[in-house]
Amino acid sequence: MDLRHSGIKIKIGLEIHAALLTSSKLFCRCSTRWQGREPNTLTCPVCLGMPGSKPVLNEKAVEYAIRIALALNCKIARECFFSRKSYFYPDMAKNFQITQYEIPIASNGYVELDGKKIRIKRVHLEEDPARLVHVGPSVAEAKYVLIDYNRSGVPLCEIVTEPDLTSPREAREFLQRLANTLEYLDVYDSSLEGSMRVDANISIQKGSMASERVEIKNISGFKELEEALTFEAIRQANALERGEKIPRETRGYDSNARVTYSLRGKELEEEYGYIFEPDLPKLRIEKSFVERIKRSLPELPHQKMERLSKFINKELAKSIVSDKDLALAYERVIKHVDKKLAAVWLGNVLKKILNYNNLRFKDVCITHEQLVRFLKALEKGEITKHAGEQILRELIRDSSAIEKIVEMKRISDENLIKNVAVKVLEANPKAVLDYKSGKREAFEFLIGCVMRETKGRADPKKAREVLKRMLD
Amino acid sequence: MRADARAYLERAKNGEIDFAEFARKFYEKAKKLNERYGFFITLNDFERFASVKFEEPLFGLPVSIKDNICTKDMRTTAGSNILRDYVPPFDATCVEKIKEANASIIGKTAMDEFGFGSFTTNCAFVTPKNPWDESRTCGGSSGGAAGFVAAMDMPTVALAESTGGSISCPASFCGVVGLTPTYGLVSRWGLIDYACSLDKIGCIGKSVYDVALVLSIIACHDERDSTSLNVRQRDYTKHLDEAPRKIKAAIPKEYTENLNPKVERAFWDAVDKLEREGFSCRKVSLPHTKYALASYYIIACSEASTNLAKFCGIRYGLELEFSEENFERYFSRVRSEGFGEEAKRRIILGTFARMAGYRNKYYLKAMRIRTLIINEFKRVMKNFDCILSPTMPILPPRFEEIEKLSPLEAYRCDVLTTPVNLAGLPHLSLPCGFATEHGSKLPVGMHVICDHLEEEKLLKISRSIEKILGWEYGPEA
Repeated sequence: MDLRHSGIKIKIGLEIHAALLTSSKLFCRCSTRWQGREPNTLTCPVCLGMPGSKPVLNEKAVEYAIRIALALNCKIARECFFSRKSYFYPDMAKNFQITQYEIPIASNGYVELDGKKIRIKRVHLEEDPARLVHVGPSVAEAKYVLIDYNRSGVPLCEIVTEPDLTSPREAREFLQRLANTLEYLDVYDSSLEGSMRVDANISIQKGSMASERVEIKNISGFKELEEALTFEAIRQANALERGEKIPRETRGYDSNARVTYSLRGKELEEEYGYIFEPDLPKLRIEKSFVERIKRSLPELPHQKMERLSKFINKELAKSIVSDKDLALAYERVIKHVDKKLAAVWLGNVLKKILNYNNLRFKDVCITHEQLVRFLKALEKGEITKHAGEQILRELIRDSSAIEKIVEMKRISDENLIKNVAVKVLEANPKAVLDYKSGKREAFEFLIGCVMRETKGRADPKKAREVLKRMLD
Repeated sequence: MRADARAYLERAKNGEIDFAEFARKFYEKAKKLNERYGFFITLNDFERFASVKFEEPLFGLPVSIKDNICTKDMRTTAGSNILRDYVPPFDATCVEKIKEANASIIGKTAMDEFGFGSFTTNCAFVTPKNPWDESRTCGGSSGGAAGFVAAMDMPTVALAESTGGSISCPASFCGVVGLTPTYGLVSRWGLIDYACSLDKIGCIGKSVYDVALVLSIIACHDERDSTSLNVRQRDYTKHLDEAPRKIKAAIPKEYTENLNPKVERAFWDAVDKLEREGFSCRKVSLPHTKYALASYYIIACSEASTNLAKFCGIRYGLELEFSEENFERYFSRVRSEGFGEEAKRRIILGTFARMAGYRNKYYLKAMRIRTLIINEFKRVMKNFDCILSPTMPILPPRFEEIEKLSPLEAYRCDVLTTPVNLAGLPHLSLPCGFATEHGSKLPVGMHVICDHLEEEKLLKISRSIEKILGWEYGPEA
């Protein structure tokens, strides 16, 4: 089923949990960098929920949440407080989570996505539970579960949208934009394991039929979000088609099978019994504190894109801006080389190589100086486009590959090219015959051979001229 | 015989005490008293008890610690089976402080499980008996703490804790002095929570001097407790005997209704004496008092039900064999076995009061009433130096009477102590007279309440009351 032309109206709202990049946890001094660490080594009485321990709020996390809230055009609360959300689960150190309920740190914001406003309902702070490691072939078949409290107490910023998203694709774009924005704010790193988890609410309407709101829990990844929502929209549409009712329920998403499955119905909706967190005083947020944060906000992705789009193609700008460090590199190099040339090479060629290798610019060790040298070589025509691509492919793994600019210097000397061409023609008599009998593809084949023999260094224009002369 | 800490410290400074001898004698007596009365859940080893430095400021003064206050490497049960063998990895701040002050730790005193009770009959391990009459309760929940201070004829003080009256009640029933400071004055780091917005660590001693001395050591700002107040540490004993001149005391009429007639008589007799010595006492009305008890139990149980959720047999405390079962069943088995009846009752009450649909009617309403009660106290405090009332409306009941009480009747005994605990005002209970019942001479306690952070004033007023009423301390041995 194609959702775009099915006459289905979709309403999607997201609840995003992003792990904040503070150096210590939300209520204690333990480190937040649990990824790759020996389990249960980053713990203390507070994040283990030991009797007699008490939380102390990390001010940096408050600052980060305010950065996010300001970037999402939210209203910052003058005063807010924390609450206890109670439920029993083995990943909960205290069997309650310290979160915000009645008054969040910020509310009523929006994000403009291709000219459309997606409203942000609230932004609040809460603590991450511990990490469960299921021992066994799968979660369902696990024989037992191990608990790693290293993650317990990591600050999460929860961002809740109004149900303003109207397609799974749009939800994905929104999430990408949000993640990108958080990275620009230096409060979040999408490459860290488990750094973003999403709950999605979706309901559909078809003619006079409508589904109840269904919540899909714990989706991680942009692609997974789109897939889960697409599956769910189609599932609901088909059920409505059959005259079935879609009850309000909570579902999970199995990213291997790419299906959602029922977790619990409305009658089993969670009962959290919120109370005010009595171990933490009210949090007063001074205006001057907010003003100081406001002044320190960096240029955000959409602003940067708008600015770059004034002199480069919009698609290229989008591509460059989507990787914060790549964008930073771009802005540095265009002080020395042509903006458009740099845009094509960073936003298109390099970005493709990075994507193909599942890397981001900050993962590779290319310095800005190397990039300038590289782009200058292209600008001056010292290396060919072909050689440039090759060098770039090597450069992402080995920074000494930059020296190949010299090795792979463009060959413009017609005699040199001619020598290569002679060899190529001798080795491919059939192609020569084909060409003479009028097959144009044979010429392209022979040019390819010349380029390959020169490792792409031959000036393509000159090579064509030389070859043509020799054949005719 | 009066054996408060003042005389001990003076003699210690003058080099008149052989501490090894003192420690041995003290420990032996404590052991004997404990065998007879059951004041302790855990008595310290003699070696550890006596290994203290005989130096300023406390010179090895023996201190007992209520068993919901964490002591490093020393079992801390909070009176509950679920923490039967729990040994904390850290000291509570107040324990750190008294250790630094060279106090010796005699042991961990008996208490109602997690503080849930007024008679220390809800302790999983022992029920302390009142030294004035062994068939009666010491009060609760700090029953062991008050009982031991009363029974011991050598100098000793106790670290205790009050949520809704757990210091005042046993102090009153045992005829000793109990101080509950302003909420936030003493750090709660290391206190096993009952209801965090109400829990206050305080102390029990044989005299007003004793509690002033302990407060001077434990009252300080602590960044590990976010509700700890940023108040400079000071010596509350220094100006203790400088009595404020004309003391204006308010006596709320709501606090003198429905009293046991013997308690009533003892209280008014004491007030007469105070007035003769220049106190000006006037009746006032605190009309919201009637809602205090219900609000207290709703808030305390709501918070307690979340605080007790952490005890589920995973990281500490009672653990059971795992069998093929999901975590919910395992948690339920551990909690069914580990918690006593009163703990279960309060968990259920508290969970109910904060559930969607009831939350507004109970929990949030109780929180609003709490604000009204605080404001009401503040209004009275504008015109008076202190509030006086009986501490408990009854004499210490006999165990056979307690058994017959319904939970609600038991809760009602806290009617005079809950309002001030809800408001977080500093208060002190001291003996003001005696009553005789069934041939037993029993102490009656008076409550003195002052405004937030007016501990110095509270202690001075209490000291002048102590001087005027002039009671000898401790039951006849």
